[in-house]
Amino acid sequence: MANSLRKQALLDPMYYPVITLLITLIACVEFSDAVTAVDVYRLVQYDISGVPFGSRLSALNHHAGSSLFGSDLSRTVLILPVRELNLTLITEYIEQKKLLGGLLLLLPPKFSPGNIDSTFGADKDIASLRNKLLELEWLLMHSNIPYPVYFAFEDDNISAVLAEVKRNDANGQPATATTGGYKLVVAASDPKRIASPNIANIQGWLPGLKVDGDSNQLPTIAIVASYDTFGAAPALSVGSDSNGSGVVALLEIARLFSALYSNPKTRSRYNLLFGLTSGGPYNYNGTQKWLRSFDQRVRESIDYAICLNSVGSHGNQLHLHVSKPPENAYIQQIFQGFSTVAEELGLQVGLKHKKINISNPRVAWEHEQFSRMRVTATTLSGLSTAPELLDSTGGLADNRHFTSEASIIRSVKLVAESIARHIYSQEKKSIIIFADDSSLAVNPSYIRSWLELLSTTPRVAPFLSKNDPLIKALEKELADHTAEVNVQHEILDGMFTFYDSTSGKLHIYQVASVTFDLLLLLVLGSYLITLFSFLFITTRGLDDLISLFRRPPSRKVKTA
Amino acid sequence: MTVFHFFNCAILTFGPHAVYYSATPLSEYDTLWTSIRAAVVYLVTALVKLVCLATFLNVSDSDTFDPYQELLKALFGFIDVAGLYFALTQLTHRNISQNHKFQAVGLGWAFADSVLHRLAPLWVGARGLEFTWDYIFQGLEANANLVFSISLAALGSLMWLRKNKPKTLIPIIYACAGIVATMPSITSYLRRGLGWHLPKVVGFELFSSLLIAFISWQLFVACQRPSN
Repeated sequence: MANSLRKQALLDPMYYPVITLLITLIACVEFSDAVTAVDVYRLVQYDISGVPFGSRLSALNHHAGSSLFGSDLSRTVLILPVRELNLTLITEYIEQKKLLGGLLLLLPPKFSPGNIDSTFGADKDIASLRNKLLELEWLLMHSNIPYPVYFAFEDDNISAVLAEVKRNDANGQPATATTGGYKLVVAASDPKRIASPNIANIQGWLPGLKVDGDSNQLPTIAIVASYDTFGAAPALSVGSDSNGSGVVALLEIARLFSALYSNPKTRSRYNLLFGLTSGGPYNYNGTQKWLRSFDQRVRESIDYAICLNSVGSHGNQLHLHVSKPPENAYIQQIFQGFSTVAEELGLQVGLKHKKINISNPRVAWEHEQFSRMRVTATTLSGLSTAPELLDSTGGLADNRHFTSEASIIRSVKLVAESIARHIYSQEKKSIIIFADDSSLAVNPSYIRSWLELLSTTPRVAPFLSKNDPLIKALEKELADHTAEVNVQHEILDGMFTFYDSTSGKLHIYQVASVTFDLLLLLVLGSYLITLFSFLFITTRGLDDLISLFRRPPSRKVKTA
Repeated sequence: MTVFHFFNCAILTFGPHAVYYSATPLSEYDTLWTSIRAAVVYLVTALVKLVCLATFLNVSDSDTFDPYQELLKALFGFIDVAGLYFALTQLTHRNISQNHKFQAVGLGWAFADSVLHRLAPLWVGARGLEFTWDYIFQGLEANANLVFSISLAALGSLMWLRKNKPKTLIPIIYACAGIVATMPSITSYLRRGLGWHLPKVVGFELFSSLLIAFISWQLFVACQRPSN
C-alpha cells in the first residue's frame, strides 16, 4: 500500500514543486511505511489480591526471532505459531522465568471470532489443537510474565515474514541491530489500572396473573444466566458456550413465555424473573450484588431459580447442579419434572450435589449465590464438574465452531417445558406446551442470530463501559419480552484488579544493519572523492591536484 | 540508523553537485549567481509545466503506458528546453566564458531538479525504520540527471550561443538535444510500457547519460576548432 503510493509519487512529477514548498510541514509528519501492519491482542493483565498475573508490559520494540534456542533472547520478540508450539518447552521457559523481549503467538485463522462462516477441517487435528490452546491459555493466564505477550491470527503477510525470519535464523544470522532483519513495533502506552470496573446486571420481570382478593405476593421463578467472559486475550474472549449459550437460551425462554403471558387467559399465577448477570468469572460477584439489592419479600417469594451455564455443547447429557441435599423433597420434585421432560426429548439429566462452604470465598456455580441467601436454586449445565476459578469462562478456544445450535435448542425446550408444566400444574399430564410446528415453537433462527452476535462480541466485564452497545442491546431485547426491565450498575469487588490496553497494531519493519549503513557511507565517500579528483584532473590538471596537498613554497623576497 | 540512511542518500543525491562546483574551475570564476539564477528559471519552468499538465492531462490511476498522454507529456517537456534557452541567452551573465556558462547553468538546473523532485520523498521516506533500495536508486538517478542537464546545456549553448558552426554537425547537435529533451518520456516508457524494474532503468539512465556526455563533449570540441 505504501509502496504503490511511493511509486506513483515517483512517476507523477508535476505535484512535487507544491510538496517542496510545504516541506517544513511535511517534516513533522512521519508516514507509516511498514512491511505489514497486523491487529494484535494482548494477554490479559490482572492481579488477584495484589498477586500479579499475565503479561505486565505492552510496548514492544525489538527484533524478530523464531526459535526458543536463540542467543540473547532478552532483546528478541519470538514469533511462535501455536500449531507448531512445543508446550513443554514453553512451560519450562515461563516457569523458569527466563526473559524474552516479547512473545507473539500466532493462532490459526479459523479461531478468529470474525471467521464465523468457515468450516473446520479434520476433527482429530482440531480437537488436539483445541486442547493445546486450552493448556496454553491456562499457563499464560496463571503466570507472571514480565514482557509483552500478544496474540495474532496467521495470514499471508505474517507467514511470509515468519518464513524469512526462520530462514535467517537457520543461516545463523539472527536479527539484531548489527545484522538487520525484521523489527516488530507495537506503540502502546503503559497499561493503566482500571479504577472502577463496572458490572451491569439486567433483569426483566414478567408478572403473573393476580386474581382479585389475592393479597399475598405471587410466587416467582427466576431464570438467570451470566453474560460476561474472561480469557487469556480479553479482546478475543467471545465465550460462545460459556456463557453465550446461556444468554441465548434465556432470551429464547423469555420470548416464549412472553408470548404466553401476553394473553391474560394464558398467564399463570407465577411471576417470572429473568436475570442477565455480570461478574460471572469472579465468583459470581454480580449475582451476589443483584440478590442483595432485592427487597426481602421479593427474595422470599422466589420459589426456585434456574441458572443456565454452558448449555451449548453438551451432546445429550446435561447436569442439574444443586447445593441442597438431593434428598430434599423440593429438589426431588424439580428434578422429577426435568427428568420427565428430558426423557421425552431424548436427553439425560443427572443430579449433582456440591456442598457450599460458607467460609470459602470461591463460588463455583451461580446457584450457590442464591443458596447463600437461602433461595432454592439449581444450575443447568453441560459441564459435569465445578470449574476452577477463571476456568471455562469463555477463553480463546471457546468460539462459535464448538457451540452447537441444536444443543441450545434442546436445552431451551427442556427448561421452558419443565417450568411451564410446573407453573400451569400440568406435571402429571402428558402435554407438550412448546411443541414444534406450533405458534409457541422454539425459533432456531432467533437462537442462531443471537448466538452469532454474542460469538463476535468480546464481553470481559471490566472492559465493558456503562453504556456499552451490548448491554443496551440485551436491555432492549429483554424489554421487548418482559413488562419491566431494570439495569443495575455496580462496581466489581476488590479481589480482582484489571489493567487496560487489550489490543493494538503491530508494525513489522525490515531494517538494514548498521554495518550496511557504514559500508554505504564508505562507498559514497570514495565515490565522491573519485569524482572530485576526476573532475579536478580533467579541468585543471594533475599537478594542481597534488599542489593542493603541498604547502605553498615560501617566497623569497627579491631585494633591489 | 534511519537518519544515517537519509544522510547517505542525501549525499548521494546532492553531493555530486557540490563536488562538481568545487572541483571544476567554476568556483574560481564565481559563477554561483549564474547557477542560482538558472535554478530559479527551472522553478518557474516547472510551475508552468505543472499548470499545463494539470490543465490538459487526465491522470489515470493505472500504471499503464498511454501513448497519447506520453506524447502530450513529451511535448510539455519542450517547455523545459524553452526554459533552458531563456536561462542561457536572456539572463545577463557577467563576463564568463561560454565554456563555464553552460556548465554553471546546467549545474543550477540539475540542482533545482534534484531538490524539487527528490528531496521531498527522501525526507519523508528515508527516515522511516523500513529499509528499501529505492532511495539509493533515486540518488543514482540524480547523478545521471546531472550529466544530462550539463549535456543539454552544452548542446543548447552550441545551438543558440555559437554562431559559426560547421554545417555537417548542426543536425547531429539538434538530434542529440532532442534525445536529451525527451529522455523523461523514454524512461517512463521503459518503466511502464516495457515494465522494466527500477535498477534496470537507472542503469540505462546512467549508461545513456555517459554516452550523451561523451557525444556532446566531442561535438563541443569539434565546434571549437573552426573558430578563428
